[in-house]
Amino acid sequence: MKMKLNVDMEVVVQERLRVRPLVIVLLALMGIAFVIAMIRFVNGIGAVSNLSSSYPWGLWISFDLFTGVAISSGGFLMAGTVYILQLKQFKPLLRPSVLTAFLGYIMVVVALLVDLGHPERILYMMIHWNHTSVLLEIGICVMTYLAVLAIEFAPVVFEGLKWQKFAHFIHRFIMPFVILGVVLSTLHQSSLGSLLLIQPAKLYPLWWTPILPVLFFISALSIGLAMIILESSLSARYFRRGLESHLLEKLARAIPVVLAVYILVKFSQLVISGDTKYLFTSGMMSILFWAEIIIGAVVPMILFSIKRIRSNANGLLAGAVILLAGMILNRFNVSWLAVKHPDPLTYMPTFMSNVHYIPSLPEVLVSVGIFSFGILAFGLAARYLPVFENEQHETHSASGD
Amino acid sequence: MPTTLSRRDFLKVGGAALGAAVLGQFIPPRVAEAARANGLLDATNSGYIPSMCEMCVWRCGVLAKVQEGRVVKLEGNPEHPHSNGKLCPRGQSGIMNTYDPDRVLTPLIRVGERGKGEFRKASWNEALDLVAQNMLDIKQKHGPEAMIFSSTHNLSQVQFENLLNAFGSPNYGTQRSLCFNAMIVSNLMTYGMEEPDRDYSKLKYIILTGRNLMEAISTSETSALSKAIARGAKVVSLDPRYTKTAMKSSEWLAIRPGTDLAFHLAMLNVIISERLYKAYFVTNHTIGFDKLANSISTYTPEWAATVTDIPADTIRRIAREFAAAGPYALAHNGWRTSNFVNSFQTERAIAILNALAGNWGVAMFPASGEESGVLGAPPQPPYPRASAQRLDGVPWKYPFVPLKIGVFQEMREAVISGSPYQAHGWFISRQNPAMSLPDRGRTLQALGKMDFIATIDILMNDTSWFSDVILPEASYLERYDPLNIVGDKAFLRQPVIEPQGEGKSALWIYKELGTRLGLADYFQYSDEEDYLKQQLAPLGVSLDEVRQKGYAELPGENSEFPEMAWSTPSGKIEIFSSTLDAGGFAGVPQWEEPPVPKPDQFYLLTGKVAQSTQFGSQNNQLLHKYSDEPRLWMNATTAKNLGLEDYDLVEVASEAGRIQVKLEATQAIRQDCVYMTPGYGHLSKGLKTAYGWGSSDSDLHVTYSDPISGGQALSQTFVTVKKI
Amino acid sequence: MTDIKHKAFLFDATRCIDCRACMVACSVENQIPMNKTRIWVAGIGLKGEFPNLTHASMVYHCMHCNEPDCLSACPVGAYSKRPDGPVEYDPSKCIGCRYCMNACPFGVPHFDYDKGLIPGAFIDKCNLCPQRIDFGQGPACVATCPTEALAYGERADLVKEAHARIQAHPDRYVDHVYGEFENGGTSYLILSHVPFQELGLPDLPEKPIKDVSEEVMGFTIPFALGWGAVITAVAAGVAIYNKQAETREKQAETTAEDAEEPK
Repeated sequence: MKMKLNVDMEVVVQERLRVRPLVIVLLALMGIAFVIAMIRFVNGIGAVSNLSSSYPWGLWISFDLFTGVAISSGGFLMAGTVYILQLKQFKPLLRPSVLTAFLGYIMVVVALLVDLGHPERILYMMIHWNHTSVLLEIGICVMTYLAVLAIEFAPVVFEGLKWQKFAHFIHRFIMPFVILGVVLSTLHQSSLGSLLLIQPAKLYPLWWTPILPVLFFISALSIGLAMIILESSLSARYFRRGLESHLLEKLARAIPVVLAVYILVKFSQLVISGDTKYLFTSGMMSILFWAEIIIGAVVPMILFSIKRIRSNANGLLAGAVILLAGMILNRFNVSWLAVKHPDPLTYMPTFMSNVHYIPSLPEVLVSVGIFSFGILAFGLAARYLPVFENEQHETHSASGD
Repeated sequence: MPTTLSRRDFLKVGGAALGAAVLGQFIPPRVAEAARANGLLDATNSGYIPSMCEMCVWRCGVLAKVQEGRVVKLEGNPEHPHSNGKLCPRGQSGIMNTYDPDRVLTPLIRVGERGKGEFRKASWNEALDLVAQNMLDIKQKHGPEAMIFSSTHNLSQVQFENLLNAFGSPNYGTQRSLCFNAMIVSNLMTYGMEEPDRDYSKLKYIILTGRNLMEAISTSETSALSKAIARGAKVVSLDPRYTKTAMKSSEWLAIRPGTDLAFHLAMLNVIISERLYKAYFVTNHTIGFDKLANSISTYTPEWAATVTDIPADTIRRIAREFAAAGPYALAHNGWRTSNFVNSFQTERAIAILNALAGNWGVAMFPASGEESGVLGAPPQPPYPRASAQRLDGVPWKYPFVPLKIGVFQEMREAVISGSPYQAHGWFISRQNPAMSLPDRGRTLQALGKMDFIATIDILMNDTSWFSDVILPEASYLERYDPLNIVGDKAFLRQPVIEPQGEGKSALWIYKELGTRLGLADYFQYSDEEDYLKQQLAPLGVSLDEVRQKGYAELPGENSEFPEMAWSTPSGKIEIFSSTLDAGGFAGVPQWEEPPVPKPDQFYLLTGKVAQSTQFGSQNNQLLHKYSDEPRLWMNATTAKNLGLEDYDLVEVASEAGRIQVKLEATQAIRQDCVYMTPGYGHLSKGLKTAYGWGSSDSDLHVTYSDPISGGQALSQTFVTVKKI
Repeated sequence: MTDIKHKAFLFDATRCIDCRACMVACSVENQIPMNKTRIWVAGIGLKGEFPNLTHASMVYHCMHCNEPDCLSACPVGAYSKRPDGPVEYDPSKCIGCRYCMNACPFGVPHFDYDKGLIPGAFIDKCNLCPQRIDFGQGPACVATCPTEALAYGERADLVKEAHARIQAHPDRYVDHVYGEFENGGTSYLILSHVPFQELGLPDLPEKPIKDVSEEVMGFTIPFALGWGAVITAVAAGVAIYNKQAETREKQAETTAEDAEEPK
């Protein structure tokens, strides 16, 4: 990139030096994950994971699917904000969010290719339809939305390749795709919650409710906002760019509102369904529940209501991290930790009696490797493509108090 | 579908993966041909063939489903009274008995040291010649009695006995003294028959002393008991363990081992003193009641309570309930009654309880004879006189034990001691004495004393492992056996597939061996089918017909009412046995104090599980798949007090030996008992599934024989248990 | 529920002796590999302290629910229910997502965790022995059960039989036929002498548990269309508003310019 030579040369040189060791680590992690995936394809899922008849879904689903989709929600948020609500001042946040979402969904699909018994049949979800299946809806939406994200991100690639005509072409017809993207995202962000509707006996009453999809959507909004903040903060620190603090401050104003709605809906649901009796009497379940509510909703709601914290780079980052930690815990609780699988089995042939699940090391390494790919891809895209456009605009120092 | 088989089809049908057909030798598929001729198999060699199971001694009729020359499923034969269309788990697993990858499919001759399992393949001619040569050498040098013959009773037993009788040896070992001698001899003394038949259909009250029918499954009898319970019959289960039968019973009494006798004597005491017996029946059909009444008064429930750990009130109540339910009441005589030396007296008490309930013709019936004169047999000359004494002490040490039953463990002892003379050769067929005899260490010692050991087996079981020659028998799905009479039918065992490898039926082996021993005149049949035809001759029915149906009907005198006559000296049910009295033993049942363990010892109990049969089924992969791990049961509270936990490795020691085994801490057993399921801890590395699985209680059992019935007392062994 | 005419099992826990003949028969009949099984024993087993003990065992396999959750959940429709009752699985459609394993409240479907891509990892479960029941035989497990703990026949008849047994021996049975109504009714009916939870059976309401999921899924398309319409309307509205604002601004500018120009 040809820019101001003096300052950027230094930055570029220093960047190059700093990037290399991390790139090697990330590539190594990706390599390990690849090897493990190959073993999985040859010897079966059991050879690399602790999944069993009692726990058919584990870390890959909780982290790569549930969490992965949730943290990609910034994409449709920003697309909607910029294109539908035409709040153009948020434009600088658009491309990085779309990139995050795009890479996020690629990571989801890669993880599914490892987790599915028949990854070569993943497209069956596009041709064999069982219309009562929540998973079908998620599958179709995820794959379609990935295409939409590709289209939304294509202009960045084209601009990087200097194919401006193609970039402009897509720009002109972007609106229907943005609308489609918002609809698809709304559907599958909420449907991830709907996945659990068919397991009322297995998901602890503190979480199971017929309005799980609503709760998931609301929390997805807050996660998306927090992800935008997180991604911007990390990019600013890492790529030595300015932080769009005032934009983020405006975004962050929405978070307490969203979280307040979430808390209200959640606790109303508990009262109406009569499940408040479990709140403090459920041992580990209570602890997990209160942890996710306090860390994921209450604390961030308080933090982001305070203007000083909202306007401060460290405050923004801290608030976002806390919110994400709590909400990711929520995704883990709903998909794994609060799910009790049948354990009334006193006799099973020994090959089937695994009723406890902790992810194995290879399982963890696969998720880590996929995540490393995401980070590496983001970094490469950020360096070689005009992801952070209009950088001249926002050069406030990142350390403003 | 081809209507004729091509040569390629023949080879496909005849050649299994294991045990190759001799190259160039065309083996015609006789089984398939015959079955197709009888309409049982279609042109693709698929269909159902009736035969008989051999996974235990109940021998249910099976219908073998054959597909393209392979047996793929077994169903119970609805027309066989032992099955009624059902099969237990062992019956269902029979396919993996036939297709066990560890099958011995060629004759094997030992090349290394005994017990190392080093054998070389040999032809039938070489192997049979070698066996005959060795047997003749022993006969010449030491007399025919120096050759001992042992086999667990099976369908070809008649020809096994033929072989040993023709050979001139009196030494015949069967498994019976390890199992039911107490019951058999008691029934002989009381009813003049080995075991009366039982009918559960009208019963209201059943007392089971042991007889774990829900785990030692005899399909039809287990089913009958289950139906009786479903109808509302009351079942009392006496067992120191909470077995699956105890679980289904109305009342479980955790009786102290060895004291069943006290319980039943107290039952007799109550029924007699309170005059609850069926007086008409007792007066007209029994003798010796007065002698029993005179001797029974000391056996009060109060006395029994101190001995058995069962409250006196309970005993009294059960006695009254039992008597009141008569004649629709049954005190089951058990089956494996080889528990304590006093088990014979227990059996006598039980037999008499039934007489007092007057249940003959309602619950108990004359036995339908196995040895019926109704079938034909090949002609043969009379047997040479076996002049030598039997090594097992029958009848000179055990006057009441029938010759066909014997005292097997006594024979083993005589081999070790060399008294009254030394045995030199051992011929074993369908039996695993290396594991079934108590005190495996001594059995191995006895085997070590043999100049020559030959075994007929389908697998390299422990006894085969220690043999000099192994002759491969075809499995039960691959062979003919003599007809087996059950009720009013003679059932056929016929091959359902071509025998794999070079397995042959016992009928063929005995004849071939007999011929080489110069005893061809005793085996006047050309092959198995000829033998069967000779058996069927008096019935006037063809073998083809029998192959189709699976049985031949016998001409019967089926009277509705059983004869009220018994083959005892008096012709009646002998409450007092003059035979026993004349032999210097008590004529009526009397108390014999059983030994008790010391404070740091446990009773070592044995028993059954539904997924295994004695000592031969543990290599079956299907049964292994669905078996619980065989561990030492100990009461959980006792275990805790000893600082032991579930799955701990413990050392169990008796005066016979010591073993290491994993612990199972359970509430389902008395605090002074431990239990092991027998049949595990195989020594043979030729059993790839069974080797290394569990441990053997045979290493621990001390040999005790009851002087009257010769029965081994398996539960009289006491053990210590400590953590390793 | 009881007037649905189709095939069902009746299991009587008072008769089950945990012999596992049914398991061996099923394995042989359906040629199940040695490390897999379609039928197993579950439950608490032994309860109490010596000598006050009770025991119950139950043989478990697919319940062939009237309203199968696996069928509802499978994205590619690999499950189907025959009109006469058995719930079938078609491996040719399966993508191995294992959602059915989550959906089944009884934990029935089992998965080939040991198979790679080429042999293919599939779900396995009881399919009610079609190769037998379509030819007049009972399922392999029922046919062999030595104590007739398992029975097979028309569901309505078995429900009657089950209630008749309870009536004939009220002290022996828990007064309930499990599966008559649970989850909308199953084709595996159970009689027991102990509470059903001790047999490992979940406590399920009469309303099929897939109903909530299916109702929510039913909203999908109308919701998507409606939401799409709303967003389009918002987008159009915002665009129009902004355009008008732009035009007004321009007009204000030109007016101001005009006003400023000297005449």
